[in-house]
Amino acid sequence: MKRLSNHLAIACSAVLSCSAAAPAAAAEENAFFETKIRPLLVERCIECHGEKKQKGGLRLDSRAAWQAGGENGAVIKPGDSEASPLIKAVRYTDKELQMPPKRQLSSDEVAALEQWVKLGAPDPREGNAVAKSGVDMEAGRKHWAFQLLAHPQPPSGSQQPLDRFVLAQLQQHELQPNPIADRRTLIRRATFDLTGLPPTPAEIEEFLRDTSTDAFAKLVDRLLATPAYGERWGRHWLDVARYADTAGDGADYPVREAVKYRDWVIKAFNSDQPFDQFVREQIAGDILAQAGAAEQYAQRVTATGFLAVGKRYGYQPSPDYQHLDFADAIDSVGRSLLGLSLGCARCHDHKYDPVTAADYYALYGIFQSTRWAFPGGEEQKRPSSFPPLVLPDEAVRLDKAKAAELARLDETLGRLKRKRGALDGKSIGGGPDLGFESQVLGQPPAAPWLSAGPNKVLADAQSPFAHIHPPGTRGVRVGTGNANEGVRYVFANGLRAVPGRQMHFTIDFRTVAPADKTGAYRFYLGRGVIASLAVEISVTASEIAIRDGAKWEVVRKLAPGTWHTLRLTLDHEKKTYSGAVGTVGDMATFENKALGANWDGVADTFICDAIGHIGGPAPERDLDNIGLGETPFAEPGSGPVVPAAPPADLADRLKNFDEEIAATTKLRETEAAKQPYPVAYGVSEDKPVNVRIQLRGEPDKLGAEVPRRFLEVLGGDVVPARATGSGRLELATWITRPENPLTARVFVNRVWQWHFGQGLVTTPSDFGLRGDAPSHPDLLDWLASEFIASGWSVKALHRLIMRSQTYQLASDDHAANLDRDPANRRLWRHPRLPLDAESIRDAMLAVSGRLDRSIPGPHPFPSVDTWGFTIHNPFHALYESEHRSVYLMQQRNRRHPFLALFDAADPNQSMAQRLPTTTPTQTLYLMNSPFVQQQSEAFARRLLAAPGDDTTRVRLAFEMAHGRAPADSETGEAVAFLSAYRQKLASLEKPPGEELEVAWAGLARVLLTSNAFLYVD
Amino acid sequence: MSIENQSVNAFARQNRREFLRRASGGFGALALSGLWQELHGAAADPLAARPPHFPAKAERVIFLYSTGGVSHVDTFDHKPQLFSDHGKSIAASRWLNKPGKFDRYLTKPRWNFRQYGRSGISVSDLFPHLGSVIDDVCMLNAMHCDSDGHDKGTLAAHTGSAQAIRPGVGAWVSYGLGTENRNLPSFMVIAPAAPYAGAQNWGSDFLPACHQGTHAIPGVEPLPNLKPNSAAAELQAMELSLLSKLNRNHLEQRAADQSLDARIRSFETAFGMQREAPEAFDLSRESDATLRLYGLTRGANTGFGWQCLVARRLAERGVRFIELIDVGSSANWDSHGDMGDHEKLAKAIDQPIAGLIADLKQRGMLESTLVVWTTEFGRTPFNQKADHPGREHHNLCFTSWMAGGGVKGGYVHGESDEHGILPASGAVHTHDLHATMLHLLGIDHERLTFRYAGRDFRLTDVAGEVVRPIIA
Repeated sequence: MKRLSNHLAIACSAVLSCSAAAPAAAAEENAFFETKIRPLLVERCIECHGEKKQKGGLRLDSRAAWQAGGENGAVIKPGDSEASPLIKAVRYTDKELQMPPKRQLSSDEVAALEQWVKLGAPDPREGNAVAKSGVDMEAGRKHWAFQLLAHPQPPSGSQQPLDRFVLAQLQQHELQPNPIADRRTLIRRATFDLTGLPPTPAEIEEFLRDTSTDAFAKLVDRLLATPAYGERWGRHWLDVARYADTAGDGADYPVREAVKYRDWVIKAFNSDQPFDQFVREQIAGDILAQAGAAEQYAQRVTATGFLAVGKRYGYQPSPDYQHLDFADAIDSVGRSLLGLSLGCARCHDHKYDPVTAADYYALYGIFQSTRWAFPGGEEQKRPSSFPPLVLPDEAVRLDKAKAAELARLDETLGRLKRKRGALDGKSIGGGPDLGFESQVLGQPPAAPWLSAGPNKVLADAQSPFAHIHPPGTRGVRVGTGNANEGVRYVFANGLRAVPGRQMHFTIDFRTVAPADKTGAYRFYLGRGVIASLAVEISVTASEIAIRDGAKWEVVRKLAPGTWHTLRLTLDHEKKTYSGAVGTVGDMATFENKALGANWDGVADTFICDAIGHIGGPAPERDLDNIGLGETPFAEPGSGPVVPAAPPADLADRLKNFDEEIAATTKLRETEAAKQPYPVAYGVSEDKPVNVRIQLRGEPDKLGAEVPRRFLEVLGGDVVPARATGSGRLELATWITRPENPLTARVFVNRVWQWHFGQGLVTTPSDFGLRGDAPSHPDLLDWLASEFIASGWSVKALHRLIMRSQTYQLASDDHAANLDRDPANRRLWRHPRLPLDAESIRDAMLAVSGRLDRSIPGPHPFPSVDTWGFTIHNPFHALYESEHRSVYLMQQRNRRHPFLALFDAADPNQSMAQRLPTTTPTQTLYLMNSPFVQQQSEAFARRLLAAPGDDTTRVRLAFEMAHGRAPADSETGEAVAFLSAYRQKLASLEKPPGEELEVAWAGLARVLLTSNAFLYVD
Repeated sequence: MSIENQSVNAFARQNRREFLRRASGGFGALALSGLWQELHGAAADPLAARPPHFPAKAERVIFLYSTGGVSHVDTFDHKPQLFSDHGKSIAASRWLNKPGKFDRYLTKPRWNFRQYGRSGISVSDLFPHLGSVIDDVCMLNAMHCDSDGHDKGTLAAHTGSAQAIRPGVGAWVSYGLGTENRNLPSFMVIAPAAPYAGAQNWGSDFLPACHQGTHAIPGVEPLPNLKPNSAAAELQAMELSLLSKLNRNHLEQRAADQSLDARIRSFETAFGMQREAPEAFDLSRESDATLRLYGLTRGANTGFGWQCLVARRLAERGVRFIELIDVGSSANWDSHGDMGDHEKLAKAIDQPIAGLIADLKQRGMLESTLVVWTTEFGRTPFNQKADHPGREHHNLCFTSWMAGGGVKGGYVHGESDEHGILPASGAVHTHDLHATMLHLLGIDHERLTFRYAGRDFRLTDVAGEVVRPIIA
């Protein structure tokens, strides 16, 4: 069913008229219903519109049900069969709306239904109005996650509040918490946890020496203050934000500005930006920027990269695939911030959660009212709509300055080319011959001409006049009479009006005799294809008319078959032109005619088509000797033009010109490619609109319009009518207001998960009805309350968690606990966690001493003017780097091979949790990859540079790689390994390198790939 | 059973013995973790072989994918009336996937068709070799899908979804059945270049990453990191020996942690892969007759014949899902400009595919190996001009086919209309194709689910019906 309008209001009023019917008539009507209508509905309709199925959200098995209508509103307007969509459907007159779909009703059956509706659709069938959707909003509101934060008091006890919540559950489940972990374990755990890097031996020693009671708290503070903290925790957020450096369309366009958002996230964590503000800026930073401090403008606009950085589907900035882009944005906002899978409501009301399709399209409207940076795509290969990072006035000023600079360079280039053209003897009398003489006879004029229709270069079309160009051999015959066909010439060095100077244009033409067609053809001169019109001249076989402002003025009678010459002088300052047309000695002149009112002063295009002052097919015509220049052309009859003798130093002078032209051209290209101000991959405001529900998620099947608003279950606040913006600012406020219980709960749960490997809620992006219930509901709410009370300080949350005993527990096995709680949901120990992809790589680089801790510049993408990526030839690159892994260029469509191998986030969607795997291909990487080999060698060199004997160095190696001193037996084994390894190397015919170093590299590889390196206790 | 086959099994047995010896010789924790797993029922190993939902017809899949959109009416869907109606105008109701009314001209194929085998199924002269094994092939002549864009169509053919990134069919199969041989990945893709939408087609998305396809690229080094870095085998053995001692010490205090144990075991596997994977890719011991069957010259390590023969070798070694892609996202079957381009592309795959089917059959593997050939969509039987040499995208009706693995051979399911424009009967959607593939593997496509973001996801989304008439 398609395109039913909303008749809900009408249906409601009809209920009243129905109940007002007289009792006797009612009995008769009931009889009619029972004999004619009920059987028909049962046999032909209710299979799809009844208890079992509700196609289109419609039920016809009770009065209340059809009164409630379907997805598109009411289908029966009692009393008015013509206005009832149901009647329209059974009539089969509308191709889009035919019911029943498989077999049409008989005409008798249709007539019965019509009569029934006319009677007011009397229907005795009782039954509840079944909700159109599967969503039970009231029941949904009772779900724990939608309850306001409870602000629970911790259980009594002397421990820290957090631990009291945990201990209460441990006691309840008869679990014994592990003891506190040893110091070495603690510093390795905290350092990897907060920075993604191993502690250095010096850091370990310092921590071991600090015997004060707050030594661990001080360690946490020190780690939180290092820039590495933001690099580690920013990366966690980038998983959720589905960050990638490419757009993810079929051609996977690179996005140069994505790194700005990445760096903004890292900085936000390092500066402990309050989380609510962090969220607001990501949703509506561009709007907040307008009202905020100028020095924060760029940062806030950059923050909206959160919305823009998702997977893109389009080939050009068009609405074609926007519903998919928006699906990503809506789903990402839902999962990452609210812990709700809003994406499910795209095609239908959510099956489990209190989220309706209307909720989805209310948010859709907000994003539809937003302008999205377009990253480039198969059809438009250049980025567009990237929001400026300078204040709007400044952006306008810089845009103008750039345009002016380009205009100046164009002017210089034009002048240089004209001067050169005048010098080389090929163009006489101003302007080259426009390629006429180099064209092939009998063919349509080729580049630099464009030709549409049966046009040909002919010797017969050579003009007899020789005052512009030397006598030639050919001209163009425009053989078409069709209005939109003809020829076009784009001047390589078009003119730009300069104050105090005039422009001159000339052309020779004749109507080919006999001229049996009576329409007019036209000469157009201006910028582009009628982009900015300067002059229009219209010619028929018998007369020529010029355009004077809005009116045509016939200036001369013409004879078919006779060549005429036309010359014009344009004065942009005075907005007028003058000229003459005729034959030698017989010229009709005209003066001070109005130029195109909106002409911008650029003349770079000549067109001869057939849209003139007289309609109908235009006659064939010949064209020749076109000229465009800043100096007046010679008078008709003054020729023939003779090429001047070339000056003696012609070659040198031409060379000078060529060099100057090349240099200026390059300068222009550079200037044109220059972004006059920095921009962001983000969003800005567009025209505010509400959208209609897309039935089954199909953009061409539209249902009712929904106002832009927040989710009903979270308040359903509507974007105020007086609001002038998209509604993103309101959305940002709604998401972060303290009465919304989800945002704080979802985020503290994420932080918990990133510390402990699993959240208190183990489905971190799904707090809905099918999500996991919290293991410690009170603790979750207490953390969320404390978080809000701290001013949404993430660092305060880290301190709260990490200073607890719960965080500091040893990760050891405990047989009885393992039996009762193998998954450690009750937190009897700190879990042992594998290093994630970034940490493996960063830790190897750190231990080998090769890690570059600086923040790298932009990715070395190919220059934007070379971008021609298509789905057939998509962008692909892999950039080597020794910076931290968070800075690696990550493609969406072709994953970074190392990051993909070790289970880093797939940037195609918001990633709640990485699922670590252990695969032999990973292990092959550890055993044999050049990267691990390089780090092993570098680590070996580092060790060999340290003072001491083998034993000392072995101890240092374990300290550096595993954060612990080796057991004596291990030291002995390692030393024995080195000696045996060297012995073996010595026996080889071709040793792979310096013996000592190779052996140590072997040991280094063992240490860098052992479980003590790859896991954190 | 052939000699090669026996040697493979002997190798596997030996490897298993070696593994157990090492396990008992040092990795005492193995026993403990095994016990642990038994006691607590934790699925520690996502790649462990698992029984299907019901008895399977096929144990593995070789999925052949031709990139760019192969014209159905020029290859496997013989439409005599398209020949006789050549040049006649028709009113098409869709053009480039846009609805409307379009005056178009029927365009005949430039290749003749002939009947093959006992079944007498018609195949065009583009695929004469395939004709020779036609009695093992089951044609699906009324395939259709939702998208006529390459990237979206390719994704849909692989993942069931053109609109969101989902796990590929190979990842789903790996997730459903695990693998028999831990010395090789469960899902391997052999492709000289990435198709449209790249590696997303064989990604695991929300499924555990061990189920993602491992991309091998034909050439000297099909898989990276297989070559030991150490200068001598003994050196690597020394390293692994020290490593195992350290890991054993480490594990002593952490005996219940299965992921530590899994990593230790993965070194065993990787060590095995160093030998077994290059061996799988090494065709030097194949007989001349076998090479000829695939149209291969000795020493070649690229081309679709090489890919097909390697696929057979991987199938023998227990790889669960093997995908072969003939060409990447350029210079492929996307013959807008000239259908003549189909000729060299068909020539490149025709004999290798026929050779693969014949070879599987002669080795008794065809019954347990489901071979599927598909493409993202077909090409228009009509054009804007009757003499236009190319054809456009056509997702409304096209051909895929299956062979072996419990499908009827020499059988045609589904019929397109007289010109091959729309399905006339037996329409099969991509979801149905996926549902049928899973069914043949003993998997109920509605029960193979993964809980993610609050929803139980399926390969077939909320659709898909098993095409029962084709099941032998």
